[in-house]
Amino acid sequence: MKITRILKATACAIAVAMPGAALADWQPDGPITLQVGFGAGGSTDTLARAVAAEMEDATGWDVIVENKPGGGGIAMFSQLVGKRPDGRTLGMGVTIPTLINLAERGETLPFKADSFDYLATVVVAPLAVVAPADAPYDTIEELVDYSKENGGALVGFDGGEMRLMMQAINNTEDAGFELVSYQSGAEIIQGLLGGQLQAGWGAGAHIQYVDSGDLKMLAVATQTRQDYSSETTSFIEQGFPYSAEPYFYFAAPKGLEPEAREALAAALDAAITSEALTQLVGNVMQTTPTNLGAEGTEAKLVNGLTEITSLIEAAGN
Amino acid sequence: MVDLATILAGLGDALTLTNILFVLSGVVLGQFVGAMPGSSQEMTIAIAIPFTLVLTPLSAIGFLIGVNKGGLVGGAIPAILINMPGTPDASATALDGHPMTQKGKPLKALKMALYSSVTGDTFSDLVLITVAAPLAVVALKMGPVEIFALIIMAFALISGLIGASVTKGIIATAFGLLISTVGLDPEHSTPRFLFGFPDLYSGFPISSVAIGSLAVSVIIARLATMSGGMRPALHIPRDQTPDQKRVSLAEYLACRFVLMRGALIGVGIGIVPGIGSTAAAFMSYASTKQAAKDPESFGKGDIRGIAATESANSAVGGASLIPLLTLGIPGSVSAALLIGAFLIHGLQPGPLLFEQQGRLVYGLFGAMLIANACNLVFGLVGLRLWARLITAPESIVFASGLVLCIVGVYLSTGGLFGVYVMLIFAALGMGMNALNYPVVIFVIAYFLGPRFELSLGQTATILRGDVTNLVNHPVAIVLLLMSAFSVYWLGIRPARAAREESPKTGG
Repeated sequence: MKITRILKATACAIAVAMPGAALADWQPDGPITLQVGFGAGGSTDTLARAVAAEMEDATGWDVIVENKPGGGGIAMFSQLVGKRPDGRTLGMGVTIPTLINLAERGETLPFKADSFDYLATVVVAPLAVVAPADAPYDTIEELVDYSKENGGALVGFDGGEMRLMMQAINNTEDAGFELVSYQSGAEIIQGLLGGQLQAGWGAGAHIQYVDSGDLKMLAVATQTRQDYSSETTSFIEQGFPYSAEPYFYFAAPKGLEPEAREALAAALDAAITSEALTQLVGNVMQTTPTNLGAEGTEAKLVNGLTEITSLIEAAGN
Repeated sequence: MVDLATILAGLGDALTLTNILFVLSGVVLGQFVGAMPGSSQEMTIAIAIPFTLVLTPLSAIGFLIGVNKGGLVGGAIPAILINMPGTPDASATALDGHPMTQKGKPLKALKMALYSSVTGDTFSDLVLITVAAPLAVVALKMGPVEIFALIIMAFALISGLIGASVTKGIIATAFGLLISTVGLDPEHSTPRFLFGFPDLYSGFPISSVAIGSLAVSVIIARLATMSGGMRPALHIPRDQTPDQKRVSLAEYLACRFVLMRGALIGVGIGIVPGIGSTAAAFMSYASTKQAAKDPESFGKGDIRGIAATESANSAVGGASLIPLLTLGIPGSVSAALLIGAFLIHGLQPGPLLFEQQGRLVYGLFGAMLIANACNLVFGLVGLRLWARLITAPESIVFASGLVLCIVGVYLSTGGLFGVYVMLIFAALGMGMNALNYPVVIFVIAYFLGPRFELSLGQTATILRGDVTNLVNHPVAIVLLLMSAFSVYWLGIRPARAAREESPKTGG
């Protein structure tokens, strides 16, 4: 407790000493509530709480984290959209589940992609398709061939974008992938190691199994290659024009004052790029923090909707 | 794999005074929240995780493990004393624990629950510490098809508990499964039965349904029958012989097979992710009842009933860390929370864990064993305090219980919506109790429902829609045959025997 107090005092001293830093013109007139669209204890919640703690230490604001789980963030954003845009209520979600819901059933949701002021991203999940290390295929194309020869291949997934990308390949290549739904990436790894699956999707948990030599990479789903396995090509490089980059992001109800948005985005950025967050993101997600900033996050959400819509069309549903 | 020096260093780390104090305070807190109606160790772990960021990894994990283990012991207390189980696991303990209280032997019931819980827990931890690696291989082979068969078997074993009316039992099960379909479907994430409530996207909150139908329904029923006086909620006769208050060694040893079966069932369920301690507790109870020479004594205060359920649900804990540490797969809600804590503290479950973090892992194992010892010692002190507390006037005990349930559900679901759901399910639970529908069966079906649906979908895909492909899954076939046998043995045969007996007794 004493340490936190000293830290806070130091942070205040630094902030006072450096005019025009995070403590710019805007101050919240009370505690900030950060609503997390996922349950307590998960990776999203963990990241949110760490960002909140860093923000508190750096700015002196009170940041309270609340969990509003349901529908991959939909339940939380459905409520966030009706809150007052005074900068005291923020939400944290993941881009792709939100976008898929907007694209598939936007008319039933109380919000649109432009119903929020976007503030920052924390990290992008390093999505990839992996297979057992001894599998007789090394790329998506070879997996397609294997599937055709053997009357289908079982591919595990735990997110809508993963299902859509595989269905799109089923449509164009007649690959015959059989898609098995799982609750978590860890269970997909269990399916791969236990010999129940021929291939599966990973969102970070797979990386240490690739390091240990139990699994191998077939393709990364991000638009560019990923640092931990720079020789693995992307879907796009392999000739399948699909990608998926789920960003963990912060948003507020639309209508923030420009100073408030600027101050919040700056405070979030300082927290996201802090030493503590870098270490935590390394532990939890096996990657490094990425903040696209307020405009970049907005672009991800607004442009992302057209990308997801075309992916849904390619998947044929 | 890990050399002896690392193991000893790890266990030595756990034995420092600081760590023992953190484990002990975790256990004390866990027993407290477990015993308080409305709060649970899962909720406490979720709230405590951010506070442990300032601790060393071993102190933090030891503290959280302590909370989890303490909660398992604490949960049985209100179930036994006032028939108000805070968790579905504890509702299995209430089946025989509360009748023992009514017979004037609450302390004996509480102590048996504590001893059984610590026995099952320690056995499970020893299994984890000694044979985690080979068992992890078993866990790997339990794919979706096998898990599906195992859930069928859980349902089959639990069918033995349905009670007098098979029809009402089936209705309760079907209703539980129906309620569990609210929310996103596991295959395509399509929202179902939302009726315009975005809060229902992830279904009815588990804590609202469990606390509402199991605990709040009982509280409201008791409040409704109260008649003004200052009657104590629990009456312990003053002139008790020591035998009525304690569990003798002979009584404990008489339950050794029950405890062993419970512990084995718990370990078996623990290493398979996603089934959970509730099913283990009821499976152990049902099979103990069936194996007994006098099954009719169960439900009327048989000490073996407590031994069966508490040893099984506690034995899930250690074993569920096997898939958690080796594969990163949580076997229960608290395991899912612990994995988050592990990650925050740099303990990365998976194939490299023992190599890279051997010392920390053995420190964790040491902390688990210390937590069991703390559970036993503090439990014996705490049980007396709780039993004394519950002798307060019932108007105070039950009214404050209701407040605590509301606060607990508000906290764990993050708002009033969960509280409304809890009250609706409390009314439902009261209705079911009044009409003799088994509420517990309803809650178990609700708990197992999502996993059942998911594995059914996975199994259909893996078998490519063709049942004959089951021949490639011999383990699943064996489990399904055992299920069919259990339904006959536990469900149909006793019912038929009861029917044949009734004309003779003139019923």
